[in-house]
Amino acid sequence: MVSFLRMLAIDARDVEKTFRSGWPRRRETPALRGVSLRVERGSIFGLLGPNGAGKTTLLSILATLLTPDRGTVMVLGLDVVREAGALRRRLNMASGRPSFLWSLRVAEIVAFYGRLYGLSGAALHRRVDGLIELCELGPYRRIPYSDLSTGLKQRVALAKSLVNDPELLFLDEPTLGLDPDVSVRVRAHIARLRREQGITIVLTTHYMREADELCDEIAFIKSGRILARGTPGELKRQIRLGEVVALRLDPARVPWLADVPGVLRCVEVDGWVECTVDEAEKRLPELLRALYADGVVIRNVQVREPELEEVFVELAK
Amino acid sequence: MSWRNELLAVWAVTLRNALMGARNVFFFFELLFWPIVGVLSIGLMSRFLELTEAQASFVLVGTIALSVVNVCQLEVAYAVLLDVWSKSLKHQFLAPIGIRHLTLGSWVVGMVRSLAVFVLLAALGRWAFGFQVLQPGWLALATFLLGCFLTAWVVGVAVCALITLFGNRAEAFAWASVNMVLVLAGIYYPISVLPDSIAVIARAIPLTYFLDAYRAHYGFASEFRSPIATGLALSALYAALAHWAFLAAIHRARRTGLLLKMSE
Repeated sequence: MVSFLRMLAIDARDVEKTFRSGWPRRRETPALRGVSLRVERGSIFGLLGPNGAGKTTLLSILATLLTPDRGTVMVLGLDVVREAGALRRRLNMASGRPSFLWSLRVAEIVAFYGRLYGLSGAALHRRVDGLIELCELGPYRRIPYSDLSTGLKQRVALAKSLVNDPELLFLDEPTLGLDPDVSVRVRAHIARLRREQGITIVLTTHYMREADELCDEIAFIKSGRILARGTPGELKRQIRLGEVVALRLDPARVPWLADVPGVLRCVEVDGWVECTVDEAEKRLPELLRALYADGVVIRNVQVREPELEEVFVELAK
Repeated sequence: MSWRNELLAVWAVTLRNALMGARNVFFFFELLFWPIVGVLSIGLMSRFLELTEAQASFVLVGTIALSVVNVCQLEVAYAVLLDVWSKSLKHQFLAPIGIRHLTLGSWVVGMVRSLAVFVLLAALGRWAFGFQVLQPGWLALATFLLGCFLTAWVVGVAVCALITLFGNRAEAFAWASVNMVLVLAGIYYPISVLPDSIAVIARAIPLTYFLDAYRAHYGFASEFRSPIATGLALSALYAALAHWAFLAAIHRARRTGLLLKMSE
């Protein structure tokens, strides 16, 4: 048991947080209602959920920026409230909406945070140069932060978040507002960080593809509660969305398909008829036989799991 | 945390504030414009009112103190204000940085900047009005400047605490608070002219004692028995209180979520 707990990067139990605002009438907004979470070291863990679900609140508690009202939170074996000082040396965070001092240049921002983590002299210069190279910021190192584009600002945030060689990295919507090609590169960086440096990464995202591609495990959070968690594959099965049989047919529309037993629903997408079925292995031969009997030409068939996005939509209902 | 890391963190803040100051034209404005306007207007007014040399020195000491404390206090307040303006407060407090690093680092820059202001105003005072800042001697001058810097540190840290406690709404304190303190400390007049109830407050301000001690060298009888010791003791007390208040404000901001709100 003890060795299992040592393997955990995060062990949060029954975490509650309520924000209070307004005067003289106090308004209470519950943000987290008894969240429990375990994240293994060296994994990439995704927190998904709609706006206002409590993702950023949970991330902020784990990163020592916010104190929980109730519950215990151990991160890297340290209590986030009582041992926050020691913990801050070992973790870091990058936000999708980064903000740093406007007049400081890229290299100065990274160096400033490097000094706060005890780096100086040649070691500091090496780290700053290395991170600038890693985040492809070389041509911009002397540019003031306010003159950078959104994508470059996010890369500065990523460089800053790696300055202390963190054991645990929090990424709050790391590809928010980025161009697709930049997003792909950022995702590749994230995957490489885990692969090459063994960093545990907890990320929040709205992009299902990102979560599906990067995360070993995902938790869906809504209204301050974790509704489901597991690997992307497990989640798709848990929600019982079925599997998708995609057919390219001639004629393209076959109205009776939705009435075949075992077919949950049918939709047309880009010339394909996508039938969600309860069990593809059993229903596919039945569907093909029925189509053949009706004289419909089958030009192409694909079977796939539902998209994570569909799981998300289902859970967010 | 080792001493090396402590000093590095202070140096990081010092360097950051110095770079920000050097690249902001408004920082130069606040460094030069208002202090020069203050000394010129007060000096010319003392000439118009035909004040004696000692009386003119009395008010010019106050004017210079006002600028020195103001510039230094604002720089200490920048410890938090810069991050509030740039919405980077959460990055700041995610790093292993203590308020001692923030305030000391900013204070170092504040002292350098206000020392530059002092030298400029002293030169201007001598050239335009024959005012001699070194008449009381180097030690008296150093003690006076130390008193100004300590007062600025206390007010600056208190402003940081208020901003962390109330958010951007408290920003006006950064500019207003020091003037309130200086009016009560008797920058242009001895505190004996104040009503008794106000004089009680004036006696609780460290700068009152440092001004009194410095002016004594220009021929004004000291109103206190041990002004420098009292000023230092009060400064130490308020420094501890301001530090505690700032620390408590940060704890509260972490609890209420204001730290995050100020970063959005």
